[in-house]
Amino acid sequence: MSLKPLMQKLFLVDLIKGLKVTFNYQAPSEAITEQYPLERPVIFERYRGQPRLNSNPDTGESLCIVCNLCALACPEKLIVVKGERNPVTKRKEPVSWSYDLSRCMFCGLCAEACSTDALELTQDYEMALYSREGMVLDQAALERGQEPEKYAK
Amino acid sequence: MLDAITKYLSSSATPGEAGSIFWATIYILLITVGISLAVIAMNWLERKILAHMQIRLGPMRVGPHGLLQPFADALKLLIKEDIIPQDADKLVFWSAPVVVTMTAFTTFLVVPFGRTHAVTDMNIGILFMLGVSSLGVLGIIMAGWSSNSHYPLMGSLRSSAQMVSYEIAMGLAIVCAVLMTSLQTGTGTLSMIGIVESQAAQHTWFIFKFFPLGFLAFGVFAIAMVAETNRAPFDLPEAESELVAGFHTEYSGFRWSLFFLAEYAAMLAVSSIAVTLWLGGWMRPFPNWLSGSTWNTAFSLFPALTLFVLAGLCLLGTVRMPKIPQMKIQTVGLGIFGLLLGFIGLVLLITPVRERVQDIYWFVVKVAFFMYMYIWYRGTFPRYRFDQLMKVGWKVLLPTGLAVLIATALWGLMPQITSAIVGLLP
Repeated sequence: MSLKPLMQKLFLVDLIKGLKVTFNYQAPSEAITEQYPLERPVIFERYRGQPRLNSNPDTGESLCIVCNLCALACPEKLIVVKGERNPVTKRKEPVSWSYDLSRCMFCGLCAEACSTDALELTQDYEMALYSREGMVLDQAALERGQEPEKYAK
Repeated sequence: MLDAITKYLSSSATPGEAGSIFWATIYILLITVGISLAVIAMNWLERKILAHMQIRLGPMRVGPHGLLQPFADALKLLIKEDIIPQDADKLVFWSAPVVVTMTAFTTFLVVPFGRTHAVTDMNIGILFMLGVSSLGVLGIIMAGWSSNSHYPLMGSLRSSAQMVSYEIAMGLAIVCAVLMTSLQTGTGTLSMIGIVESQAAQHTWFIFKFFPLGFLAFGVFAIAMVAETNRAPFDLPEAESELVAGFHTEYSGFRWSLFFLAEYAAMLAVSSIAVTLWLGGWMRPFPNWLSGSTWNTAFSLFPALTLFVLAGLCLLGTVRMPKIPQMKIQTVGLGIFGLLLGFIGLVLLITPVRERVQDIYWFVVKVAFFMYMYIWYRGTFPRYRFDQLMKVGWKVLLPTGLAVLIATALWGLMPQITSAIVGLLP
């Protein structure tokens, strides 16, 4: 063994280097932990989360024209849309919507397929529920958007 | 009654020397409570410091900055179901944690927290400490054997092998320090108080004696004591990734918490040995360089100052707490805690209290340094493989210890040797 590695071993240089690294990380400002319910994470713009069905903000009627493209695009076949033609406006309007969130993998293909930008995946991420039943969203739930249960200590 | 109390408190004798059972009982109670509190504090500090070293925050929810986390844990452990495996040897299983805890706490009988702050001053103090603390391995073997399960048995086998190998290196290092006590007077001492007093008489801590020999002996001890207490990087007996939890795999609830208590008490005990033997025990830093009554007074203000700083930190934390209704109780609690610390600091400013407490303070500060090192090692070093562990113990520490022992003895005998050589010369 040559001199340098021997000396390094004798004086425990590597161990001291390691100790120095951990010592320097100790400042609490270094911590990257997020205190989740108290401080909320930064969500990126292209994050795909909670689905939402948009409606016209002026008239309040749904943008969905029941073209069924989203249901066809969905790889999980979890969207079921039924619609009826409105005899007055001659426009097809949704009657029942069903979006099974428990099977959704948030691929975003439905939102891409939507021809009227009615269906959209928002940046909301708090979708945990206590039962599966609430996971199947109807039109009202999709338009309202899900509100997370408030964190109470 | 009051007269007797003040008379004893103004004397400078340990309860053992005074022959007072009453004071011995009080000291034992105080030490037991103190060690338990230290273990609680250590639990919180370890989780916080380790978390910060791993760029995490650690406990934050129970109380401000998780200050009440150890109490929540203790409560959880106490109300947990107490499980004894069906095929376990019930009596041995029951007595193992008791043995481990008893031995860990018994060692504190002879630890000198100050000139008068030891339960008793045994003339074989260090021997007593070594003997009793190595009885702890018996409890570990009992736990591993009686659990009647593979992992605990493996853990206790490893533990016994490790403790036996490292005890030798540890003993050699201790003998070095004991040899150094005999240099001035020719008669050495094994008494813990005697060792510190001989450091005072020789005007040096033994870590600086015969540089680098004292330092080397200290280094051997510092490595061996980590192995003795089964802490990282020598924590093979309870290696999580290999043995689940080692010898206490089958233990739960209160019995497990006894093991936990014993582990930390043992860490405190070996740290106290290291402080007593090499770091001057209860002596304040720089007794020679910064001597005189002015410096004495200045150094005796340190305990109060430390508490004031802690109180200030608590009050600062109170101001900086998030202003939301859920945090109100925590904010008030932290404020009260800070005020309490400040009040204790004020009490420590009273002259008689100050004079009596400063020994304990310096001892505790030195022990706290070792406890921090334990956490630091745990946050940094990966675990040794078993053959590496044995290699370090037998092939590195043992020869180093022997060499340092012989060199210390020769250096101590230098005057006699030179005079003999001079006498032989024609």
